[in-house]
Amino acid sequence: MKRILRLFDAFETEYVEPYKSSWIKAKLKRQDDLRAVAEALKEEGLRSLVTVSPTDFPDESRMEMNYFFEDLQTKRNCWLKCDIPRTPDQCRIDSLTPLFAGADWSEREAFSMFGVDFADHPDLRPIIVSQDFYGKAPFRKDFDWEAHEADTLNHLKTIVNDFEKEQQNSDANLDPDGSETVLNWGPTHPASGPIRLKVHCDGEEVIGIDPDIGYVWRALEHLVTQKDFIGAIVAVERLCFMDNINSMVGYCMAVEEIAEIQITPFAAWMRVLLGETARISSHMMGLGGFFNMMGLHTLAMWNMDVREFFLDFLESYSGARIATAAIEPGGVRYGLQSNMLDELQKALDKFDATKEDIRSIFVKNPTMKLRAGTLGILTTDMIEQYALCGPVARAGGVRTDIRLDEPYAAYSEVEMAYITQETGTAKDRFTQLFNELEQSVDIIKQAKKRIEAGIADGEFNPTKDHMVKVPKKLPKGEAISRVEWARGEVLMHLVTEEKAKSPYRLKMKAPSFNHTMMLDHLLRGQTLSDIPLVFGSLYICQGDLDR
Amino acid sequence: MELLFNIIVFPGLLYLLLWTVALFWFFRKFMAPLHKRVGPHFNGPAGSYQTLFDLSKLLSKESITPRHVNPYLFSLMPLLAVIIAALPTALIPWTPGITVVPSDYGLLGLVVLIGIEPFLLFLTGFGSHNKYAFLGGIRVLTQMISMETAFFLAALSPALLFGTLNLQTIVHTSGWVSFLVLLPGFTLYFIALLGLLEQPPFNIPDAEQEIVYGFYTEYSGTNYFLLKLAEFAEFMALFAGAATLFLGGYRGLFFDGYLWLFVKMLAIAVFMMILRASTPRITMRQMLRFSWRYLVPLSLLNTAWVLLAKIYFFGGAQ
Amino acid sequence: MLKILDFFDYAKSESLWMAHFCTGCCSLEMAAAMGPRYDWERYGFLPTPTPRQADILVITGLVSKKILPALLRTYAQMPEPKYVLALGACSFDGGPYNDALSVIKNPTEILPADVFVAGCPPKPEAIIEGMEAIKSKMKNKEPSAASQGGLWKEIAF
Repeated sequence: MKRILRLFDAFETEYVEPYKSSWIKAKLKRQDDLRAVAEALKEEGLRSLVTVSPTDFPDESRMEMNYFFEDLQTKRNCWLKCDIPRTPDQCRIDSLTPLFAGADWSEREAFSMFGVDFADHPDLRPIIVSQDFYGKAPFRKDFDWEAHEADTLNHLKTIVNDFEKEQQNSDANLDPDGSETVLNWGPTHPASGPIRLKVHCDGEEVIGIDPDIGYVWRALEHLVTQKDFIGAIVAVERLCFMDNINSMVGYCMAVEEIAEIQITPFAAWMRVLLGETARISSHMMGLGGFFNMMGLHTLAMWNMDVREFFLDFLESYSGARIATAAIEPGGVRYGLQSNMLDELQKALDKFDATKEDIRSIFVKNPTMKLRAGTLGILTTDMIEQYALCGPVARAGGVRTDIRLDEPYAAYSEVEMAYITQETGTAKDRFTQLFNELEQSVDIIKQAKKRIEAGIADGEFNPTKDHMVKVPKKLPKGEAISRVEWARGEVLMHLVTEEKAKSPYRLKMKAPSFNHTMMLDHLLRGQTLSDIPLVFGSLYICQGDLDR
Repeated sequence: MELLFNIIVFPGLLYLLLWTVALFWFFRKFMAPLHKRVGPHFNGPAGSYQTLFDLSKLLSKESITPRHVNPYLFSLMPLLAVIIAALPTALIPWTPGITVVPSDYGLLGLVVLIGIEPFLLFLTGFGSHNKYAFLGGIRVLTQMISMETAFFLAALSPALLFGTLNLQTIVHTSGWVSFLVLLPGFTLYFIALLGLLEQPPFNIPDAEQEIVYGFYTEYSGTNYFLLKLAEFAEFMALFAGAATLFLGGYRGLFFDGYLWLFVKMLAIAVFMMILRASTPRITMRQMLRFSWRYLVPLSLLNTAWVLLAKIYFFGGAQ
Repeated sequence: MLKILDFFDYAKSESLWMAHFCTGCCSLEMAAAMGPRYDWERYGFLPTPTPRQADILVITGLVSKKILPALLRTYAQMPEPKYVLALGACSFDGGPYNDALSVIKNPTEILPADVFVAGCPPKPEAIIEGMEAIKSKMKNKEPSAASQGGLWKEIAF
């Protein structure tokens, strides 16, 4: 850490300070230094640029750029800031894509949402936003949404015309006598979900893939600024429904940091318990989805059977199967009654009863190994460059897990270890998910035991301890929080104004965004049959891809 | 009169329809417990009317002919596919009495009619003016070429053993010893059958997750119904072919009759469904490698084995 | 003759196949409705890979601007008679995304739905009940709402 601090001596900075246990927070005075600093950080070992998050301050007429660098090996991280002018023609900064390949889409996102121009970016096209937002920077504070909204029918026309033009162009650019073609893999496709992969292929062979995303773009990051701090969890949990608890935990941690509140140990344990339940329900779908992509629905059905029992627990706790809204700033929303834990016990028993069947039939399936054993290899180098995270990174042998790197809630008291695979193939990612499922069940058992013991001792009061009060208005502040979500690291960057009732800016870095970038690299030169398999193994959810 | 009965009732049109409805229901109902589900349940006893409703619905729904396609090719092919797929039923001895077209070259007709079917499916995909359908058609063709070599060789092994192409004679002369001799041939026939019927692990031509629905993609309503009918007719032809060639057809314990043939066909279907519930799909490349590196050489070896067995156990050439 | 036609109408109402197209989060509960506990195949529902063989289009929750043309195109590709089932608060008025401006807030004014299922997301039982409601609508020989009107006819897609 000291070496990183010293590294900033060579540059003009407004401040450099340690932040939390593993972060250095620094603000550059001159934006021209950015590339040099980034280069120095990269040499220091911080090889992953997780995300780029601009914050718009129209009153001070500046745009604050936030860069989050991570070192997946030694767990040293750096939060770099610098101001740039916000007038559209001067809003320009050096691109970091030549140094950090993973910055590619993050910078494209900042370009389409805030109109930040990145010099030297190899491919600065708008991403996520639909065609009617091209060149309009919808996330800037002075963007007039209402005026834009009034013209919806014309915008639809723009979208349709653009799509047709694109289709004609893609056909016109191809050799009419050749066998090359461009396939639209999605959004009306049995396996794709709302995403469109433009697959440029020659017969069965894939030449290149250009994902077209944004089909479920709900502008969540803008939506939260319209709501108060508690109402925002509705938007945050809809990052992706499959694991909604952990994303809420991340947001609440950021709010609690700004409000300077400590949650009770009981609430911390409940967050672990609920979070792992949601992780299980998500992994169950992920495992099933992987085999679905190979035309075998049995595993998905079996998993769905077990998953229902975990959802029963969530339902008994919060009243909803999926949209639980169970985590709130200050703790967890509801108290705990003992019959809720009985539901959980049923789910755990069901899991233990079916686990070995799934292992022997599916995890050890020879045909699956034949197909996925050598496909979609993600090396350690790629994982670091593209800032991949979660099960996908761990399957490639990178020991990264926020629950251990930067323990939150009650994870510091949980006994767990890094689970990794070695080669990073599609099969490894599948096995990784299955092993993590077992780990999660183990954590749930620990948390359940601890909570039950605490209640028996009188240490926890399950009906009163679950919440501490959070003021409705927060002070001016800024915080980041990281959680290990089912698909990997979610980084929430929350900015508040003085006496604010609602967030000023919330950046949610979600894992699928970086993972989808890998499709092109992994599938080039493979066949059409491999597209769904690699797509499924990367464990992508369109919800957190588009946000 | 008898011919009319054969064409319309058994083993003709009505039988084919009944078989389609029943087998479709059986597939779904058998698959459901393997998925820990119930399957069709509320329409009729154990949901048995469900597939009748499904197929009737398809029959009476609008059939869309997309723009830019040749309407004749597009609509003729499903009809042709049904007819070709249903023709082998005429050659198969269903009971000791019923063979619609008794012929000395029944086996030859059987394999040729089964072998021509994928080509028609290719034409349906080719005529659909859809990239996914076209890819599906190409995949059918590729799979046909690589699977049919093994299929023909395996189907010919009973002919070599018994020295005849007459299906009735094959059924008559088969016994326990010949069954054991033909067991490797039967295994090869079964694998090739999975390939020809596009069943897992060889369901490559209509791989939903990859190419939407292959050659079926653009078909709707009546045309899709006809294609479905053709698919089930092909199931029938291949199952009945397997039962006739290797398992002794309608012959069985205590009595001979259609029931035994049906039981044998059902056993093959059950085996196929269990594979379907537990095996993921393989890729085109893996299928080609498997077929040409292992399946075809093995079926050649099987031919040699049958010839040897004929010389040593069955007293050589007659 | 009439009896036979009635039979076919009855068959149509009893066999609803769903176009495999998802626009939003409610598709997760659709998956649960297909799963072992709720198993909608008991009632004769099936997903189909292509819209060409489908009878109902399910608007699974939110419809963003970008996916609306694809949704309408999918609807147009389906053969008659076809019905629309709308799931969740989003398909009614944008639901939790009512303040988000990249989302179409009135998808069912554009493509009128025959049956709404409330919830965010609706529970699988509710989805199945909604499908049953479409069945009874077909049995009563009511025409589908989308064939009666809606903005979708005025939008080029």
